[in-house]
Amino acid sequence: MQDEEQKPYIEGPMHSTTPMIDPGLTFASVTDKISSIVLKRKTSLAWFFGFAISFALFQLMLLTMTNLVFVGIGLWGVNVPVAWGVAILNFVWWIGIGHAGTLISAILLLLRQRWRTSINRFAEAMTLFAVAQAGMYPIFHLGRPWLAYWLFPYPNTMGIWPQFRSPLMWDVFAVSTYATVSAMFWFVGLIPDFATLRDRARSKPFQMVYGLLAMGWRGSARHWHRYEMAYLLLAGLATPLVLSVHTIVSFDFAVGIIPGWHATIFPPYFVAGAIYAGFAMVLLLTIPLRRFYGLEGFITMRHMHNMAKVMLATGLIVGYGYMMEAFFGWYSGNKYERFMIWNRMHGPYHLYYWALILCNIVTPQFLWVKKIRSNLLLLWIISFVISIGMWLERFVIVVTSLHRDYLPSSWGMYQPTQWDWGMFIGSIGFFLTLLFLFIRFLPMISIFEMRTILPEAEVEE
Amino acid sequence: MDREHDKLEQSLPVHRRHVPPLYGVMAEFESPSDLVAAARRVYSLGYRRINGYSPYPIEELSEAIGFTHTSLPLIVFIGGLVGGLSGFFMQYWMEVIDYPLNVGGKPFNSWPAFVPITFEMTVLFAAFAAVLGMLVLNKLPQPYHPVFNAPNFVLATRDRFFLAIEANDPKFNHAEVVDLLKSLDALEVNDVEV
Amino acid sequence: MFRTDPSIYDGRFANNGWLQELPRPLTKVTWDNVAVVSPNSAQQLVGKNDNGGAIKGREHYVPVVDIINPPGQTVQAPLWIMPGQPDGVITVHLGYGRRLAGRVGSGQIGFRAPNEIVGFDAYQIRTSFAPWYVPSVQVRRSTGDHLLATTQLHFNLEDPNFSTEPRDVVRSQTLEQFLHGERHAEDEKLPSLYPDFPYQNQAENAPNYAWGMAIDLNNCIGCNACTIACQSENNIPVVGKTEVVRSREMHWIRIDTYFKGFDPNNPHATNFMPVPCMHCENAPCEPVCPVHATVHSAEGLNDMVYNRCVGTKYCSNNCPYKVRRFNFFLYQDWSTPTYQLMRNPDVSVRSRGVMEKCTYCVQRIQNAKIQAELEDRKVHDGEIVTACQAVCPTETIVFGDTNDPNSRVSKLKRSERNYSLLDDLNTRPRTTYLSQLKNPNPEIKT
Repeated sequence: MQDEEQKPYIEGPMHSTTPMIDPGLTFASVTDKISSIVLKRKTSLAWFFGFAISFALFQLMLLTMTNLVFVGIGLWGVNVPVAWGVAILNFVWWIGIGHAGTLISAILLLLRQRWRTSINRFAEAMTLFAVAQAGMYPIFHLGRPWLAYWLFPYPNTMGIWPQFRSPLMWDVFAVSTYATVSAMFWFVGLIPDFATLRDRARSKPFQMVYGLLAMGWRGSARHWHRYEMAYLLLAGLATPLVLSVHTIVSFDFAVGIIPGWHATIFPPYFVAGAIYAGFAMVLLLTIPLRRFYGLEGFITMRHMHNMAKVMLATGLIVGYGYMMEAFFGWYSGNKYERFMIWNRMHGPYHLYYWALILCNIVTPQFLWVKKIRSNLLLLWIISFVISIGMWLERFVIVVTSLHRDYLPSSWGMYQPTQWDWGMFIGSIGFFLTLLFLFIRFLPMISIFEMRTILPEAEVEE
Repeated sequence: MDREHDKLEQSLPVHRRHVPPLYGVMAEFESPSDLVAAARRVYSLGYRRINGYSPYPIEELSEAIGFTHTSLPLIVFIGGLVGGLSGFFMQYWMEVIDYPLNVGGKPFNSWPAFVPITFEMTVLFAAFAAVLGMLVLNKLPQPYHPVFNAPNFVLATRDRFFLAIEANDPKFNHAEVVDLLKSLDALEVNDVEV
Repeated sequence: MFRTDPSIYDGRFANNGWLQELPRPLTKVTWDNVAVVSPNSAQQLVGKNDNGGAIKGREHYVPVVDIINPPGQTVQAPLWIMPGQPDGVITVHLGYGRRLAGRVGSGQIGFRAPNEIVGFDAYQIRTSFAPWYVPSVQVRRSTGDHLLATTQLHFNLEDPNFSTEPRDVVRSQTLEQFLHGERHAEDEKLPSLYPDFPYQNQAENAPNYAWGMAIDLNNCIGCNACTIACQSENNIPVVGKTEVVRSREMHWIRIDTYFKGFDPNNPHATNFMPVPCMHCENAPCEPVCPVHATVHSAEGLNDMVYNRCVGTKYCSNNCPYKVRRFNFFLYQDWSTPTYQLMRNPDVSVRSRGVMEKCTYCVQRIQNAKIQAELEDRKVHDGEIVTACQAVCPTETIVFGDTNDPNSRVSKLKRSERNYSLLDDLNTRPRTTYLSQLKNPNPEIKT
């Protein structure tokens, strides 16, 4: 079957009738358009360029990690009192970004939000790659990273077990579970698309690989029935997982006793913040991608507006969190809590705090305005600012709380070193490397799910 | 080699030629509505060993072929239960029975602190049960299946819909089945070898 | 005014790493000497009246001044602003600025620039006419700033820009107040959902010790001998100036110096507070360690298990007293053979990536217990003397068995002056303090 001539999809301004998908698409054109990005023989030069830069940054990450393991954690800026610095906040930043993907795949599925369909595959991939970045930090921030496996409960010659009351142990289980379940969810979702690619592959090696991954999928109705059941159950499991994993990450701080950490608002505050940061990252990535690959027919202005609205909503929750922190810092009457809030606003790191308020509370307010939401460049800039803002939020929480706590004699300062930054920028490079590989070799939009939302998919009685 | 084999076959009388066993008859449809209508008709006529093939899940189709029950939810529930119980009792055994230690004055059985890991183990095992359960019940991976021999079956992952009636259905009669499928707006009706 | 340096005296100990890294009692400066002036004098000289370096960034830079004596000799010195210093008096410490002091004293190791001169040589402006006190010297601002390595950056009991109510860390009152029945808030035993761990009936035939320590704030003069004793007893490494700049000094017991009052020109008092590990009953460091590397022993000690530590540093974050020290690099020198003679064979030498802290000299406790068991008796009160206790010239630190009601430490803990540091956190520390009682002469203006 020849690839049908596809009329280019012209975008109009956002309107209540803006469709969720280009009305001119058919089963055949949906399949061909998405699979052709993957199956074409020649890789574009732009892809190589982007991949090369990402890969170079990935090498930077490997270099910093190796040096760290051989020389010591002292290469970073951590000290006493600030024993956790940029590395741990990067961990939280990356995991937070991952949560948007699961929200889009799982929670929006359960809420029957069909607009999730064109972005969920990409968002889940983003989740997996973000969790991969996050997962490295708890290992490399250890003083003795070669012993990281001691955090797993296995019978050993010392006869000892890990200490399960520690939030770091909860992290081990939560992040591993999250990574595993996300990976399974993503892979299960890919099986029918692997079958599509297998049947369409132009070279034998690719056909073999996709065929292997498709596991013999043939679109049997009985299989689809169980498949949909499994998918729904996984979505139902992934939903509490999103909430619990970032809650457990927030417990890394909330279980600590220092002012600024020991707060009950942390679980919902962190989860909302994670979704906030994650949607910002999804927007940051999809706005250029849809333009470059001509996917405006699949990821329409309706998607952009919906994502912007979710960002605004979660931004408001995060703003509420900041205000509550400030209010309770004062209202508690507790000297240490009051000082903690005062120190954030007036102490040595006050610029970070006010930048945070600007990035995370002031900036998303622009999203109330429809015209701004429709302007993709502005939306991209706002998403970028929010990503930075979320990084600053974790900086303020981790560093300013630690650097001045109970005894004034222990007050100190923290400054990240070039090795801290190197590993962070390197991890962004690794993330982008994985993303580039993903968009080259795997369908970035879920083909079979896109078919279900076409008008011709309706069964007439 | 095959050419010689074919020539030899042709030289034999018809009743002595090797006929490959039949898996069933496959009909190709253009739209999901046609497929569902056809499936309902075929089912109502008493055929049970039937299956539909589509590029995306069609809820009405699985109802039409009479397949509604799956034990997957039960498998997932049991998986979750096993996960939760093993998670809790692992922690309990390790912190209370095998090597209890005074950690910050907390009691040995710090069950509130054991909750996060118990929860995560429940979800993990339930998820494994869902994925593995689905694959095992679907008998996947299964690289070969007779339906891949149907002509145009590659379109089952693009924009065509198929209905198969298997030869081992008790009511199967080749001529009847072919006539029936042809009468149901099929684009094509073909035999499928095993 | 010329003074001998509190650590390296007149310079004879300049090559001694322990003493170079020992923080000076009032300035907490290490690996350097400074010229000390009052805030008012500093305002005139350099236009600011607090050290401020800690506020500006991680590194503590202070302005450099030229000091010129009557004959016209000059030396450049970093300026330190100290509350309580009389106006118009500049104090310098002797013994620094040596060029041929050996590997340590000449700045060959642990410094940024190789062969950086350690400190400034105050002998340059010292004459035999006026060896200890020069009535007038000229001091003016020179160019540049000097990087100082200090172990304490804040000397007030609160940030004065935030509040003038001091934190309840150092408790002190006058004798008159005490006699009138004024007492500080009592140590509350805050309610808990959990039962206490018992220290009686620890096991069959167990001697049932429960170790504790009492530190009398009346006696501490801030001499820092306890810090050095602990360093020598427990094989604590010397980290060098660059690491102290980054707040990574390794001393297990430190003396916190606080200036009472918030007027920098007129502090009421200087308080010294030795802070070792508190060995808390409800230690916040223990439940956050993921690998059981720090657990509570049956005799009340917070045990640090070096070989189990993977180095998450969560325990350090959660310790409100910040008594834990981390080996960010391999600070110990494994290769120099003479160090094997220096080290205490009863104490393990820690490697890179593990946390360490005061252990109540557990090796001394174990030795005494073994000896007592061999002799079929209980350990006598006073038989176990921790290193810090042994060397303290004023008997500030007292260690012993709190299960024994007649031990010296039990009696001190029953005193009305006894309090726990940060007691409202309910950490229930086993190291408690005895509040200070002052008896100022009303005729002397403070």
